[in-house]
Amino acid sequence: MKWFDPFVIPFLTGVIALFSIVVYKWVKWFRQLSPGDRGKVRRGVFTKKSLASVGEVFRESLLHLKIFKVNPVLGYMHSSLALGWFLLIVFGFAETAYYLRTLSAPPQAHIFFKYFEPSHSGGFFPFMMDLLLLYVLSGVLLAYFKRIRSSALGVKKPTKHTPGDRIALWSLWLIFPLRLLAESATSGAYGTGGFLTGSLGAWMATFLPVDKIAYPLWWAYSVVLMAFFFSMPFSRYMHIFTEVPLIFLRRWGVLTSDESEGFAQFQLNACSRCGICIDPCQMQSAAGVDKVQSVYFLRDVRYDKITDEVSDNCMMCGRCEVRCPVGLDLNALRLKQKTRSRNADATARYGYLAEAAAAAQPGSKVGYFAGCMTLLTPAITRSMHKIFEASGDHVWWADRDDGVCCGRPLKLSGERDAAQRLIDFNKELFVKNGITTLVTSCPICLKVFNEDYDLQGITVLHHSQYINDLIRREKLRPVKTDTVYAYHDPCELGRGSGIYETPREVVASAGVLATQTADKEHALCCGGSVANTRLTSAQQNAIGEDAVAQLTASGAEAIVTGCPLCKKSLGRNSHVPVLDLAEVIFP
Amino acid sequence: MTMNFGYSVNQPRAINLDRNDLSPAAALVALEASVRTCIECGSCTATCTAGALTDFNFHKLHHLLLKGEYDHVREQTGKCMLCGKCRLVCPRGINTRNLILAIKKVLP
Repeated sequence: MKWFDPFVIPFLTGVIALFSIVVYKWVKWFRQLSPGDRGKVRRGVFTKKSLASVGEVFRESLLHLKIFKVNPVLGYMHSSLALGWFLLIVFGFAETAYYLRTLSAPPQAHIFFKYFEPSHSGGFFPFMMDLLLLYVLSGVLLAYFKRIRSSALGVKKPTKHTPGDRIALWSLWLIFPLRLLAESATSGAYGTGGFLTGSLGAWMATFLPVDKIAYPLWWAYSVVLMAFFFSMPFSRYMHIFTEVPLIFLRRWGVLTSDESEGFAQFQLNACSRCGICIDPCQMQSAAGVDKVQSVYFLRDVRYDKITDEVSDNCMMCGRCEVRCPVGLDLNALRLKQKTRSRNADATARYGYLAEAAAAAQPGSKVGYFAGCMTLLTPAITRSMHKIFEASGDHVWWADRDDGVCCGRPLKLSGERDAAQRLIDFNKELFVKNGITTLVTSCPICLKVFNEDYDLQGITVLHHSQYINDLIRREKLRPVKTDTVYAYHDPCELGRGSGIYETPREVVASAGVLATQTADKEHALCCGGSVANTRLTSAQQNAIGEDAVAQLTASGAEAIVTGCPLCKKSLGRNSHVPVLDLAEVIFP
Repeated sequence: MTMNFGYSVNQPRAINLDRNDLSPAAALVALEASVRTCIECGSCTATCTAGALTDFNFHKLHHLLLKGEYDHVREQTGKCMLCGKCRLVCPRGINTRNLILAIKKVLP
């Protein structure tokens, strides 16, 4: 039988098993998509979005451009393995098609072409195949090196592997060196081969019985391929196939939701456990908490080993999310898991809200919701009071007495239904008062107002936006000083709501902004996040202290922020004053 | 017809520690050990968002929890809005919110 030798059996078994399992999983997850999501897929397939996805697959699944941005050497390592292997398959296919003049050769003919057709040498294809093999091998060498010294590739703390990952990793590491040896031995025996396999084979032939060792080497190559293919769907390497449909689904508009399990499964399996999320995590770098980062969280959810201890222990600051090269919705996935674990019927709760007197003051067009944390920070409410006086607006203070929490802390803990009770209460209060603008000085409240309140006809503003507007309309005339302020982006305001420039403009109107290394989307968390219910106060303070040190490194005289919780968390760990931006405008 | 005598009779408030099973309380304290450091200052209660609207009282809840009076704890825990003011003002840095969440898991 042409194209057959017993040694191809392991390879063929592996390929069949791999593709059966991958297709089975894809179909299963696709069926778990919600009907709404499947509708998005139907509407998206024949649009430009699919073309854009193909481009993204090339850029991210093969070239890994986002990893290049994290660290060029790390990017080279990933792209050499992905793009290199992909091109080896493509050129291998072209090579067999060219020499055999057929497109219908079986897979083993392509993979083991050198074994079956050892006589070809010289020319374009042997050269290209050797060049590509060298390209992949350079990546494998870097991968070995990364295990010994990860910091050389820009990774301070690499991922800890599961046993399944180790089997896959070791077989992956062996595939290409074995391919090199097998091809070289055959080339040596026949006096053929390209610049790499030909030269190595000729050299091996000077002291080794290459004609005898070639065959066992081909066996070894086939066996490690099988080991890799079998372990792949159960290890981190499932990401290779899952990232592709994920890119398409995302472009077609599918979002992470509590209703749909399918999209979450695609995301969980698309995580390559590269560990890029570990280094930006301040809980790891400043407080030594190292088993809860996104890579471990996703792993535990995927293998159904997740505990509240891991899913609750996250500040949901989003620093890892902006770095994730696969673009996973890390915060949304975490919240989905917390909701699954903790959400409970809340119809019997908060009956007392019905009796809570709504401090109605009809006639005001502007409402101010200070937020629980601002209420503990009288310096901010004092300044806000002066700002409102200067504005000329008649402002109704929605939560001065007997205010009700915005609901975001409950939502972030996973108690979605309980949060909804508070949301409904506050929303009714706002609507009843007939306001058209709602100002809040707490980014936590701001986020939930914008995302979950559905406040039609009411403009929701962070106080930085409100103040900036007053400055533009010259209702406020801040005195410009030469005080150097370090502006701290609150997570919920910056990464959470995309508001970076407005607060900076406000601060710059009264002082000078200090330059910072961890800025904007890479800004630090204060450590006090309401999303985390597990950190001890000592750990929170360690994170806060570290953040203060980084914020003041360039010599700022004070830290300014736009969140009362950040002010508190940084303030108790700071040697310089920590102010809210309202205090900068009106001390 | 009810007669107003100008005073009322309180329900008996004795806690029988021999009858109360203290193991769930011990389990909760093990889950959030920082509650051991409570100095009963009452700051949590003074700032409480839910406390401004109801008789919810974290300080009392904590006190009765340790004495095994779970009915009270169960009934009250649902009133908490988890806003976190208590945690912020606690001079001992007690992780109050985690205790509330743990109570809901341990005392269904």
